[in-house]
Amino acid sequence: MKLRLRLALTAVAVTVPAVFALVQVEHSVRRRTTDEVIIASTMSQMQSGGRERCEAAPETWMVRSRAQRPVWEREGLPDDRGGPPPGVPSPNESRGSGPAMGVPRPGDEGPPRSSRGPLGRRLPPVNLYPFDGQFVSRNPQAPAVDDELRQGVRDDGVGVRRYSKEDGALVQDLLLRMPWDGGPCEYVLARRVEPPGSPEVGLPPLYIWGVPTLILLSAMVVALGPVVQRLRRLTEEVRASSGSRYEQPVTVNGSDEIAELARAFQQARAEIQAQLAHQQAREQTLRDFLANTTHDVMTPLTVLQGHLAAMQQRLRAGEPLESGLMLSAMSEAHYMASLVHNLGAAARLEAGAPQVQHTPVDLNALVSRVLGRHQPIARPRRIALESGVPATPTWVMGDETLLEQAVSNVVLNGIRYGREDGHVAVVLETTRQQSFTLRVIDDGPGISEEERSRILERRFRGNAARTREPQGQGLGLHIVHNVVELHGWKMTLAPSEYGGLEVAFTGPLMSPPG
Amino acid sequence: MGDRILLVEDDDPLGSQIVGHLRGAGFEPMWWREGRLLVAGDLPDVSLVVLDLMLPGTYGLDMLKALRTFSEVPVLILSARNDTLDKVRALKLGADDYMTKPFWPEELVERVRARLRRPTLQKEQVVVEVGPLRIDLQGHTVQVQGRPVELTRVEFELLASLARRPQEAVTRQWLVEHVLDPEREGTERTLDVHVSRLRRKLGPVKCVETVWGVGYRLVPGEDA
Repeated sequence: MKLRLRLALTAVAVTVPAVFALVQVEHSVRRRTTDEVIIASTMSQMQSGGRERCEAAPETWMVRSRAQRPVWEREGLPDDRGGPPPGVPSPNESRGSGPAMGVPRPGDEGPPRSSRGPLGRRLPPVNLYPFDGQFVSRNPQAPAVDDELRQGVRDDGVGVRRYSKEDGALVQDLLLRMPWDGGPCEYVLARRVEPPGSPEVGLPPLYIWGVPTLILLSAMVVALGPVVQRLRRLTEEVRASSGSRYEQPVTVNGSDEIAELARAFQQARAEIQAQLAHQQAREQTLRDFLANTTHDVMTPLTVLQGHLAAMQQRLRAGEPLESGLMLSAMSEAHYMASLVHNLGAAARLEAGAPQVQHTPVDLNALVSRVLGRHQPIARPRRIALESGVPATPTWVMGDETLLEQAVSNVVLNGIRYGREDGHVAVVLETTRQQSFTLRVIDDGPGISEEERSRILERRFRGNAARTREPQGQGLGLHIVHNVVELHGWKMTLAPSEYGGLEVAFTGPLMSPPG
Repeated sequence: MGDRILLVEDDDPLGSQIVGHLRGAGFEPMWWREGRLLVAGDLPDVSLVVLDLMLPGTYGLDMLKALRTFSEVPVLILSARNDTLDKVRALKLGADDYMTKPFWPEELVERVRARLRRPTLQKEQVVVEVGPLRIDLQGHTVQVQGRPVELTRVEFELLASLARRPQEAVTRQWLVEHVLDPEREGTERTLDVHVSRLRRKLGPVKCVETVWGVGYRLVPGEDA
């Protein structure tokens, strides 16, 4: 629903019941006041001679008078009690053959002969009918007294009854107990009949409440105009902004709720833009990573395919297979496996500390697994893989996968770049100072001093570190370095006593679990 | 016939390869192509289980958990994910060892062998026999091909240290610290001298092997 329509409907829905409720309250107040006025005037009339006249001729006694309007309705209005208005019988004129009722005097508390409503209409007359103690009237014109009136007069001294006639006229009956006992005029019924269409029935005239309501409504609808317009403009701007990947800003002016909304959208827009940028950067990194990984894996895979194709050709030609070719193929497959593990380790290292587990790791078992993994490649290359570990498990705290990958990288480097009939040895020793030393020694070509310091200084930097360098110290040693740092260990590179390289890790032991 | 080994592996080529290699190594493999939630009595009589973690039907770790409620059979986990958390979880659930794919068949067979050998190694032996050597660790006597050999205290301690861990290399540094007389200044050079004397006394049998870069190891040896 549109804002304006909703507002108009809400206003109508609130105003109309409110008007009705006010009218009802006003009616009930007026009724009560009318009752009191009628009671007071009837009592005074009966006490100032009415009783005598009534008891003298109860069959015909009946008074027709005009009820007094409530005080607030009379104020400021001309009181024409000087004489009866034309066309209306005098209120104090007696009916039938009975003597005339009391003559009105100025200042009399009795009902005035005439009075006007606030809008100048005349009030309907009040008729009085006498009843005896049995609620029987000798006057044949008297209306019947029902249980409601009787009950009322017994309980409160006044019985009240209101009902509508078929023609819409409102009848108001008041049954009063007179301050004397016995006689045909013990009770008096005062009846007032409001003709149909009088202001006491239904709503007050439309122009009284309808016009202000209408003015209010139009004022609201007109005042809402600029608000609706600004909201529409803001909506358009937000749509345009979302259509432009939130690059287009929305205008913020003023300091009201609409400006607040625009400001909130600006904030949301900035947030979304930051998120988008962040996501794009991550996607770019992922794409780069994937592209480089693909490249890194595809190269050894191509070599492997070449070897397999060469073997197939030789088999078809009936030539014997060269063991060197087979070994090279195995090495490529082995390298690929190591590469993929390293990429996984690199991803976890880049993700940072939360990805790293700290659990007890038995270095003896780790060394044995690393040697077991590389033995099938070292043996055909005629490189002896040896290890020496303490007799009891060597427990340290760390991330088992990363540590294994680090040691594995160093060992694999020794194998890949070792000479035939060479050696790679892993020596694990503990000291009495609750620390361990793990050394990987080879008798390969070794690396120069310059290169060694370069490896230790250079940090792992995304792509640059992942290329396959001729000396094979690319990704592998960087991961080793990062893992060692992450665990707070120390790593040294030195020429081994056998002419090759000696990589040593030192770190603290933990007390065995359990 | 060799030990019966249960392989739980869903991949056909890999499964048949592993079965082939285990059979070639003298084992008697059984192959299940999917995981099952075992209850006591379901497990066939096997000496070891090789269990793949990523399985259809039942996830490998669930199977291991169920298995561990009634059986202590050694379990070797195969996993394609090189994830520490997986390994820690598997070991906590009672796995004995794990291997990350890819692996060489030789490596798998070695691991299986090592796992099956383990229990007999636990016992502390009083008499160690390696090849022609018979070493009585309590009586401090050594025989080569039934012939007693006289050794000095250091030489015997050296041989005993190696004999307690046959086939395993013992580092030079450990031997220097634990075997040589702490009163005298012991160096690796002194150790080498003791070793060469010991070798001479043991005669033509080359049981004390030098391990490159590490130290020494006791092997069955061959006659020269």
